[in-house]
Amino acid sequence: MSWFHSDTSIAPLVVFRIIFGLMMFVSTLRFWLKGWIETLFIQPTNFFHYYGFEWVKPLGEIGMYTVFVFLLISSLFIALGLFYRWATIVYFLLFTYVELIDSTNYLNHYYFISLVAFLLCLLPAHRSLSVDVWIKSSLKLDRIPNWIMGLLKFQLGIVYFFAGIAKLNYDWLFKAMPMSIWLQAKAHWPIVGSFFTEQWLAYSFSWMGCVFDLSIVFLLLSKKWRFPAYIVLVLFHVITGIMFPIGMFPWIMILATLIFFPSEFHQKIIIFIQSILKLKNRRSVVSNSLFLHGFKKKLLLTFLALYVFFQLVLPFRCLLYPDQLFWTEQGYRFSWRVMLMEKAGTAFFYVTDSKTGNRGEVDNSQFLTATQEKMMATQPDLILQYAHIIKREVESRGLEDPIINAEVYVTLNGARSKLFIDPKINLAVVDDSFEHKDWILEN
Amino acid sequence: MIRFILSFITLSLLVSSCCTNPPEDEVDFNDLFVNIADNIIVPRYAELQTELDELQESLNLYDGSVLSLELLQNQFKVTYHTWQKVSVFEFGPAAEYSALLRSNCNTFPTNSFKIEENINSTEYNLEFPSNYEAKGFPALDYLLFHTNNIDLHIEIENRRAYLNDCILDMQDRVDAVLIAWDSYRATFIGAVGNDQNSSLSLLFNQYLYDYEKLKRDKFALPAGFATQFGIPVNADASLVEAPYSKLSFDLMLTNLASLESIYLGISEDGIDGVGLFEKLKEYNAQSTVVDGDLAEAIKEQFSICKSAISSFENDLAYEISTDVVALQNASSELQKMVPMLKNDMRSYLSVTVTQTDSDGD
Repeated sequence: MSWFHSDTSIAPLVVFRIIFGLMMFVSTLRFWLKGWIETLFIQPTNFFHYYGFEWVKPLGEIGMYTVFVFLLISSLFIALGLFYRWATIVYFLLFTYVELIDSTNYLNHYYFISLVAFLLCLLPAHRSLSVDVWIKSSLKLDRIPNWIMGLLKFQLGIVYFFAGIAKLNYDWLFKAMPMSIWLQAKAHWPIVGSFFTEQWLAYSFSWMGCVFDLSIVFLLLSKKWRFPAYIVLVLFHVITGIMFPIGMFPWIMILATLIFFPSEFHQKIIIFIQSILKLKNRRSVVSNSLFLHGFKKKLLLTFLALYVFFQLVLPFRCLLYPDQLFWTEQGYRFSWRVMLMEKAGTAFFYVTDSKTGNRGEVDNSQFLTATQEKMMATQPDLILQYAHIIKREVESRGLEDPIINAEVYVTLNGARSKLFIDPKINLAVVDDSFEHKDWILEN
Repeated sequence: MIRFILSFITLSLLVSSCCTNPPEDEVDFNDLFVNIADNIIVPRYAELQTELDELQESLNLYDGSVLSLELLQNQFKVTYHTWQKVSVFEFGPAAEYSALLRSNCNTFPTNSFKIEENINSTEYNLEFPSNYEAKGFPALDYLLFHTNNIDLHIEIENRRAYLNDCILDMQDRVDAVLIAWDSYRATFIGAVGNDQNSSLSLLFNQYLYDYEKLKRDKFALPAGFATQFGIPVNADASLVEAPYSKLSFDLMLTNLASLESIYLGISEDGIDGVGLFEKLKEYNAQSTVVDGDLAEAIKEQFSICKSAISSFENDLAYEISTDVVALQNASSELQKMVPMLKNDMRSYLSVTVTQTDSDGD
């Protein structure tokens, strides 16, 4: 408990804030320049929602671009520490809003960013080396409670640790699947390519990935192992960044994990930044560090305890469902299951006019983009949502009580395609819920 | 240590940024692109150009005799078959706004009212997208076959100008596309990799699109197996391709065979070169839909589909009202190909659906 009550330098938190702000600025800009605002939020005519967030809708062209302008501005403001509290709140709300628009865009690393942005709303990361302090020097803090850095390390740590736990499955460890498939696909790379067809390499990669994910946090926490572990971490992320289309994630993690280094390290970075920008080091007006008392403290601690508990428990909710997790994907999201399986599907949807008995295949391209169709075809909750999208569309065109069936074939980790859901079930009358979807066929 | 770590990060960023577009596929798909461009695409466009010229010639030679009408009609059929072999190449020159071959040459069903209206008013502009449904092969199909030959004799003379304009319109576009391929060839062969503008991606996506058009527009929609915006349609013989000349199944077969020969890499001279089949063999691709080798499975499915279509004695419009069961069987065979192309082949060729980030599935 003494660790919890003692304090530490604010330097790591401040460096983390600057890194986070800049990385988010670059990510948002990259997203924009790739044209994804257009293809993901403006072009689609239908969107897949998250359970309970049906009310989140895209804002149209002008609206969406405005949102991204505010994301860019607020991320810069976070880096600068300018109107920090507002900037973090705006960033968190807008980023989360954008992610909630269409669940086919779900990425664990977007979830991670939402969580970190949320935490930054609460943390005093602007209270040193920031425009806010420059404007109002009484804000300046030198020390912060230990638990603040502990919380951020926890948040980063669970990403790795749960990703490691998720790799503890038969296919990953004892069949080197889907690693074999991924490496095979790169077999025509120059020089290294010829090794990629070797089974021993697929097994080594699988096991190394698993051991890395499970152990890296503990190694980063230990003084002795921190430095070599970080080198391994950088190599790990660089290699995965080259091999897989995972975008900014590796770079964000490489820079974010710097928080595991001691405060002297961050102090040097701050001095370095100050020397570049020719800033004078202001003395802290408040000599004491930030400590809360009484009710406020209780409230915050209770809240954070709940947060931590929730984070630890949420990834295990899949245990409440029967059948194979990778097949049914019930309780799959928000659990740090990153790069774990190779799944693809083809979904044929049929609408039957219950009055005439007329039955026809749906042209999915009339309702969905290619990406949405691809993501939908392997995830039961999205298959159900799509059936409801079709239902809404045909009912708006005057066809009442349509019968909607889906014939979906899914291949998991290179195995033969199998019928995924009961093709006889009328999805139009099935309601989505957190209950087990018994119309998913067994793998 | 701080310097070391910072320089280490910088170095890794540098290394990876020059490696994020690894020179994959460069050597690999070159032979495929060269074969498809030189021995399939360009010869097919050249053939279409020749046949369109012949069609123009047949119209010029039309003199009101039974023989000249039959020559004109036969040349139309030949030319329409040739079109079926190029519809799949709707990227690069053919997808330019000035060309848009698919819409301009083969929007069906054609709108006979609009055609008649155009002919009567003589004030029409075939460049307008609103005239897609009044031009191209479907319009010629109507004009040359919609009534018995005796009536056509009287008609065609009056309609010579419109027929001429329709043919000329296609000639202009196909000529332009063929010329453009001279310079586009280098672009096509050079656009390696698998992003959205790579040749592999363009070729694959149009290949899939052409197949799905065949399956839906040419077959499932008229046969009543499809939906329109989700609403199940009734079988409708008027929706078939080439309803007046009754070529629907023949054209489908040519379309299928031309997709098959691209797949196998068979040139217009009949020489078996490098096709997608060979590439899948190189990858030792396994099918997830049927047992065993993917390359062979797709080849086999092409044969099955072709024989299913060729088993019909009459055209689709006729079979709709007579043999629905046989049509359903053919439809399901066409369907079986979809996951093989859309999932299996796509994943082996690493053609991404879109270029957004992923964290795996």
